[in-house]
Amino acid sequence: MSSVQLENVVKYYDSALLPGAAPALDHITLEIRDGETVSVVGPSGCGKSTLLKTIAGLERPDAGRIFYNQTEVTQIPTQERGIGMIFQDYALYPNREGQGNLSYYFEVRKKTEEEKQQRLKETAEMMGIGFDLLLSRQVDTLSGGERQRVGIARCIVRDPNVFLMDEPISNLDAKLRERTRVEMRRLLSKFGITTLYVTHDQQEAIFMGDRIIVMRAGRVEQFDSFDALYYTPANLFVASLIGTPPISVLPAERDGLTLRLHSGDSWTLPEALAHTLPPGRLRLAVRPEGWLVALQPGDGLALNVTHIERLYTERAAFAHGQLGGAAINALVPLDFPDTRQVFLQPDWERSYVFHADNESALHVPGVPDLF
Amino acid sequence: MSLFPVVGRKQPRLRVAWWVIVALLCLGIFMHLIPFFIMISTSFKPASEAMAMPPTLFPREPTLAGWELAFNMTASARSLISQPLSQYFINSVIMTVGTLLLSIPITSMSAYACSKLLKGRSARYWFFFFIGTLMLPGIVTLIPSYLLTRNFPFPLPVAPTIPGTETPFPTIRIWNTFWAVILPAGFSAGNFLLFKGFFDSIPDSIINAARVDGGSEFNIFRRIVLPMSVPVFAVTIYFQFSGTWESYLWPLVVIQDSSIAPLTLAVRRLVDAFTYAGTTNAQTALGQSANVSNLVNQGLSWNGLMVLGLLQAIPVFLFFIVVREYLLKGVRIQGLK
Repeated sequence: MSSVQLENVVKYYDSALLPGAAPALDHITLEIRDGETVSVVGPSGCGKSTLLKTIAGLERPDAGRIFYNQTEVTQIPTQERGIGMIFQDYALYPNREGQGNLSYYFEVRKKTEEEKQQRLKETAEMMGIGFDLLLSRQVDTLSGGERQRVGIARCIVRDPNVFLMDEPISNLDAKLRERTRVEMRRLLSKFGITTLYVTHDQQEAIFMGDRIIVMRAGRVEQFDSFDALYYTPANLFVASLIGTPPISVLPAERDGLTLRLHSGDSWTLPEALAHTLPPGRLRLAVRPEGWLVALQPGDGLALNVTHIERLYTERAAFAHGQLGGAAINALVPLDFPDTRQVFLQPDWERSYVFHADNESALHVPGVPDLF
Repeated sequence: MSLFPVVGRKQPRLRVAWWVIVALLCLGIFMHLIPFFIMISTSFKPASEAMAMPPTLFPREPTLAGWELAFNMTASARSLISQPLSQYFINSVIMTVGTLLLSIPITSMSAYACSKLLKGRSARYWFFFFIGTLMLPGIVTLIPSYLLTRNFPFPLPVAPTIPGTETPFPTIRIWNTFWAVILPAGFSAGNFLLFKGFFDSIPDSIINAARVDGGSEFNIFRRIVLPMSVPVFAVTIYFQFSGTWESYLWPLVVIQDSSIAPLTLAVRRLVDAFTYAGTTNAQTALGQSANVSNLVNQGLSWNGLMVLGLLQAIPVFLFFIVVREYLLKGVRIQGLK
């Protein structure tokens, strides 16, 4: 077990040597604590897999240093780093059966047969019921979920320092994905191994990670717990990536206490908030639960409701519509009447304001103090 | 399999097309098998019938004389080829096995390196470098290659002198040794392409998983990649085997000593002897060459040559049967030939 630190890591791919090409990893500095599970989330091509490969040593950084437990490993080959890695396509050795997949590690390290059998037994116990049966089967006869179980076992059989997972369950079907997710979370909290979990699915990231790294274009946008990402996003990108349905973003302009939308409609800002904001162009962002929805016109602006999406399993409903050119989804009670028009006003305490150009946060609600 | 749709095969038009294709395929098979049939049939004919005009399709008096003579070369045959046939056979085996032992590891590992170890631009340059050797026909490089075997590493008739002195550079002469056949075959661009195509289809994640497991690059190649690549190894070994076993021109150029000549050269020498003697009929042969006439008197003529040809072909045929399953798998994977 160990912590992982990255110091100003830069990685260029060969194809990006043209002038002006963006690096795959752009001065990444972060620290993953001992025993912590960290999710990495971001759009495709943002460098999250490269980050994982660089930490694994499968890609050498062009600059910067990597530490495991304060020991520099930047120049140490993957083979000697003592890590475990799980791949999206499972990457099992097709010509070996389940057990052969697990035992390659012992073969190349010249471990004794007893040690191998001992570890295999322990692993099978940890992996739970029915795992022994998978070990004697050929890889191509295993289903996706079974392959991933063997893949996970192949990693834990060696007692790794760091666990690296590259979209491990995105090839499974939805139901199996949910089950495997719970199973993996259980195993991870049991081992307490430092884990980096790459995914493009924010639900998965939230579920698996103690903390979450949000990446964009080779940079870490924010690295924090889910609550912090949700309530205190560093910029508009983080705010719109985290949360379902997504946050509604309305371009607006502040003039005194008036916040005017592009459509010409306006709200009156509370004085305390207005003083913290610069005049001129802004971006107002409101989460579905951040709207005050009324059936009668008061201070609110009229929203023409296109439809009301009722999620009975979630005991919630969302009213969808357009306001000032932006798509709006507002949380309403499940028994909200079917109506063509509602009147909306942001709950200013729970709304976000971002800079119009660099999209950095000007006002965020802050993590609520629940206890 | 997918040439015809499964559904609607009973339609009259499809049925006709089906039988036309079957007929064409049968014709192709027939045309390929006819020479073999003639060879086998001739090998069982007596000497005079083998040279009869017009030729007979089936031997009128089947005899094993040709086979016996080919196996027990008599003194008169010895005057045509100086070694017992078994010696040539052994020479061929040495050359073929030596070539396989050298070429398959070198070619497969270079293809693996090009496919999985090199990245980006360098991989591309190396690939073109290796493939570039395919662009020149072998016949163009025949003379430079020959000169190289004389004064390795200089492709010159005479080794250049060390500047400022009269002493020539030290050179190695592999000409007229087994190495002259084995070394130049150490890398095969065609097989390189096959290997590279196959290795490209192995996902990088498997190699990465093996690296994470702690396998060195060579160990990964040997323990993980090689067992996955049996079909492509079967295909390349077969090509290399048949190519070397049947090679004639290059051994003819670089092998002079008959004690190390391969079977192809020996068979050719015998064929030449008969051809020069004008073996279109026994009478002319008798008149023109005492040696050949001796042989013909013992019952050896084209029948014996056909035996030699068959003996020459049998190892390739046997090898094909052994690797047949993998070859077909390889063909399916690669879509080659």
